[in-house]
Amino acid sequence: MDLLGTILWPLKWVVEALLVAFHSLFSVMGMNYDDGLTWVLSIVGLVIVVRAALIPIFVRQIKSQRKMLEVAPQLKKIQDKYKGKKDQFSREAMSRETMELYKRTGTNPLSSCLPLLLQMPIFFALFSVLNDAQRSQAGVGPLNDDLAKSFGNATLFGDAPLHDSFASQWTKMVAGQDFNAVVMWIAAIMVVLMTASQFITQLQIVSKNMSPETKASPMFKQQRIMLYLLPLVFAFSGVAFPLGVMFYWLTSNIWTMIQQFLVIRNMPTPGSEAAKAREERLARKGKLIATDGDVIVVEEPKKPQRQQPVAKNRAKKQSGPKK
Amino acid sequence: MNRFLTTLVLLPRNAGVLVLRAYRAVISPLYGDVCRYYPSCSAYALGTVQEYGLVVGSARAALRLGRCHPWAEGGIDDVPLRRKRRVIVTSFGFVIAASHGKG
Repeated sequence: MDLLGTILWPLKWVVEALLVAFHSLFSVMGMNYDDGLTWVLSIVGLVIVVRAALIPIFVRQIKSQRKMLEVAPQLKKIQDKYKGKKDQFSREAMSRETMELYKRTGTNPLSSCLPLLLQMPIFFALFSVLNDAQRSQAGVGPLNDDLAKSFGNATLFGDAPLHDSFASQWTKMVAGQDFNAVVMWIAAIMVVLMTASQFITQLQIVSKNMSPETKASPMFKQQRIMLYLLPLVFAFSGVAFPLGVMFYWLTSNIWTMIQQFLVIRNMPTPGSEAAKAREERLARKGKLIATDGDVIVVEEPKKPQRQQPVAKNRAKKQSGPKK
Repeated sequence: MNRFLTTLVLLPRNAGVLVLRAYRAVISPLYGDVCRYYPSCSAYALGTVQEYGLVVGSARAALRLGRCHPWAEGGIDDVPLRRKRRVIVTSFGFVIAASHGKG
């Protein structure tokens, strides 16, 4: 076994175990054992388990984001200090000081790349499980010969094998052989859906959940460019990856989108558009708690009452005697 | 001759620098600012490869990646510099032999 295979082995085992577990669950529930849909739902189940396991990390991140409210004044001080300084040294000094503040106050809002790094091997593990299953090869663990054959031969809509990719059909089409248009259509639609979900996720963050300070930073502009480059990345991978792997990615993207929506609604970044919206919402219900524990009530705008016309003399009387 | 040898010795780490620069230009922005440390893990990797070479540098970068997880304290974690600096770093990040001294 090569090095990569050794590293991936435990993950492959877990991926297979989850896939097989969900597959047998859906089969018991009466779905067709060999149908592509059963296997796709198993992949969706896999995503849900993986992403649910990552929730604690996410919650922790949000908790420290909330704590950031307390250090906001100090953060503002640093930002003011470097306001308008765009050279590399000032920017580096600024992120250095910011990081120092985070550490001192225990409010680091960043999650490290571990959640991403963790997902990547899972992704590769699924990829290689599918690749092996394509040749109806048994996996390393729970995916035995029989199941591998079923997975390898599973088709969507009766015609599109899950292990097939856009690229493989394209090669056939160019070579003038028989090709499977259904696979190409499904792949294309998934690329569009993935791009759309990614776009919505990013737009939610950018338009609602960013403080004005972040929006002014050069990092933000860079991210903005990536927002428009991502569809290209998706299109590229959508062409190369088998449909089964694409389903994993798409489901994961949709999960992120919904998670982001809930977080932006309920725990927005302080100072952002969404935070203002949430404060207003809570204030209307009389539930907004200020930092010192008081309930803040925003007075409903009173209905403008028509001012009674008053005669000149009476008006003088009301405003008191003239001096 | 000495100069040629130094260039040869520095070749692997410069290859590493090139890879890391490509990663930082193309892949890093994809997921934005996530690192709990300053400098970020990839910047740390770049610095440590420049300072210690491809093998030792990569190992140090791997250790740093291990340190960087959601439960880590984070904060400032600079690349420890060698006491004696024998190389200089170009603006792109390539490492060349220091021009002063014997060379």
